Amino acid sequence: MAPLLGVLKPLQFVNDHVLRVGRAIAVVAIGLMVVVILIQVIFRYVLNNALPWPDEAARFLMLWMTGLIAASAYRRGGFVAIDMLEMALPRKVGAVLSLVLLVMSLIVLIVGVRLGWNHVNSGWLFTSSSLRLPLWLIGLASVKIKLAYMYMSLFVGLILLTMVNIELILRSLITLGGRGDDLDPLAELDIPGAE
Amino acid sequence: MLVWFLPLFLVFLMIGLPVFFGLLFAPGLLLWLNGQERDMALLYRNVYNGMDSFPLMAIPFFMLAGELMNRGGITMRLVEFSQAMMGHFRGGLAHVNVLSSMLFAGLSGSAVADTSALGSMLIPAMEKQGYTRRFSAAITAASSVIGPIIPPSGIMIIYAYVMGESVAALFLAGIVPGIMVGVGLMVMVKILADKYDFPVATRKYTWPERGQASLKAFFPLMTPVIILGGILGGIFTPTEAAAVAAAYAIVVGMFILGSLRLSDLPDVLSRAAMTSAVVLLLVGAAMAFKTVVSLSHAPEALAAFILSLSENPLILLFLINLLLFIVGMFLDAGPAIIILGPILGPIFTSLGVDPVHFAIIMSVNLTVGLATPPMGLVLFVASSVSGEKVEAISRAILPFLAVEVIVIFLITYIPAISMTIPRLTGFVN
Repeated sequence: MAPLLGVLKPLQFVNDHVLRVGRAIAVVAIGLMVVVILIQVIFRYVLNNALPWPDEAARFLMLWMTGLIAASAYRRGGFVAIDMLEMALPRKVGAVLSLVLLVMSLIVLIVGVRLGWNHVNSGWLFTSSSLRLPLWLIGLASVKIKLAYMYMSLFVGLILLTMVNIELILRSLITLGGRGDDLDPLAELDIPGAE
Repeated sequence: MLVWFLPLFLVFLMIGLPVFFGLLFAPGLLLWLNGQERDMALLYRNVYNGMDSFPLMAIPFFMLAGELMNRGGITMRLVEFSQAMMGHFRGGLAHVNVLSSMLFAGLSGSAVADTSALGSMLIPAMEKQGYTRRFSAAITAASSVIGPIIPPSGIMIIYAYVMGESVAALFLAGIVPGIMVGVGLMVMVKILADKYDFPVATRKYTWPERGQASLKAFFPLMTPVIILGGILGGIFTPTEAAAVAAAYAIVVGMFILGSLRLSDLPDVLSRAAMTSAVVLLLVGAAMAFKTVVSLSHAPEALAAFILSLSENPLILLFLINLLLFIVGMFLDAGPAIIILGPILGPIFTSLGVDPVHFAIIMSVNLTVGLATPPMGLVLFVASSVSGEKVEAISRAILPFLAVEVIVIFLITYIPAISMTIPRLTGFVN
C-alpha cells in the first residue's frame, strides 16, 4: 500500500490546490452572472436599449462555473447516486463494488476527455455571435471570441473530474488494502440537488 | 440493440453508479458496441449544448437566492410571521411549520433547503413544547415537499427545459396544487391535534402584534411577488426573475435586515455554485441521453406496451401515479424527471393530456416521493437535522403522506386544479 500512498499524496496535494482555485473562479463567475443579468434588465427597461451580449456572456460564465467547480462537488460526494446496494452488502464486498463503480466512471471520463478534445478543436472554426474582446481599449480592433473558449469549459471540467476520480480510486484501493485509517478525510457537501 | 440502453441504465443506477455517469455510460457503451463512434461524439456535443442554455440559468440563481435567504435570517422572519398568525391553535407549532413551508416555498424551489432551514429552527422548538421528535421531524419533511410545487421550483425549470415547455406556465400551474398540499396537511394536523391533545404554542396575538410581525416579514414576503409579478407582467423572463431575486435577497439581507455580512458571501456563492454545477451536468447528460432515446425505438416500444395495458387515459394516469410513486421512493425528483419526462411525456400528450397538466402530475408525484420511505431524500435530511432515526420518521410521516397521495389523485383527475391559473393568465391556450 505504501507505493499507492506515495502516489496519492502528491495527487491529493495538486487536487487540493487546483480545486481551490477552481472554486474561487466559480464564485466570481456566479456573482458576475447575477451582475450581467441585472445589467441586461436595467438596460432594457431603464435605458430602453437591449444589449446583445449579456445573454451569451452569462452562459459563458455559467459553463465555466460548472466546469471549474463540478470536480469539487464530486470530491465531496455531491454526485447523486443510489447507494442502497453498497450499504446492504458486507463491508468488503461493498468496497469492491464501489471500486468497480469508480472505474466505470473513469471510463466515461476518459472517453469524454478524448471527445472533448475534438470538440474544443472544432470550436476554433466558429466565433461567438456577440462576445468580443474589447481590444479597442488598448487601441486595437476588437476581436470576436472563438467558441473554443466556451467549449473548453466542459473539457477542463472533465479533466478535473478525472483527476478527482483517480484520487478516489487510489483511496478506495488503499481502503481495500486495510490502510484506510491513513487517509485524510475529505470534506462533504451537505445539500445535494435541485430538489 | 439500442433498445437495451434503458434496462442497462437502470441496472447501472441500481448498483449505485452516479446518475451523471450512468446517463452517459449506458447509451455510450451500446453505441460503441454498435460501431457508431460518430454518434458518441454527438452524445458529447449534446451534453455541452444541453448545459449551454439561458433558461437553465434560473437554477443557479434560485439556488443562490435560497442560500442567501437562509443565511440572511429571512427564514426566521417567516417563522415569526407564521407564529403570529397560527401559533394559538391547538397543535400551533405544527401549523406554523406547515405555513412557514408554504411561505418559504415562494422564495425557494427546494424541499431539501426547506427541511434543513425550517427543521433546524422548528424541530427543537416543537420538542421543547412537548411534541415527540419523530412527529416534529415528520411534519417538517412532509411540509417541505411544498417547496418545489409552489413557484419558484427547481424541478419545474428542469422539466420545462428538457421538455420544451414554458417555465412560466408550469410555475403558475403549481400554485394551487401547492396550496392544496399545505391546507391538506393543516387539516391532518388539526385532526391529530384534537385526538392527541397537542400543545398550543402561544397565546393569541393581537392584531397590532400581527401587524408588527407582518411588517417585519414584509420585505422577504415581497420576493414571490417580484418573481411571479415580474414573470406574469412580462417584465422578466424566469431566468431574469431569478437573478433579480438573488440580488434582492442580498439587498434585503445586507441593508434592510442587516443580518447578512459581506464575509458570508464567498461561502454562500460557493455552495450555490457547487450544487448548481451538479444539477447542470445532470441536465446536460440527460439531454444527451434524450437524443439516444429518440435514436432508439424505445419510446415507441414502451408506448405500445403502455397502450396495450389500457386505452383509457384515466386508468393509464393511475398506473403512472403508481410508477412515479415507486420511482420517487428510490430516485430523487430531479434525475427522475429528466429520465422519465422524455419517455412518458409524449405518450400522454398524444392521449390528449395537456403537457402542462402532465408536467404538474409528474412534478408533484415525484416531489412527494422525496418524503416517501425508504429512500426519500428529505427524510434523510430531516433525520440529520433532528437526530431522529429515518425509520421512526418514516412511520410518523404516514398520515401526512396519505394526505399528499389524496392531493396527487385530485390534481391528476381534475385538470382544472392546475390548469385554471395558467389558462386565465394566457400562458396556456
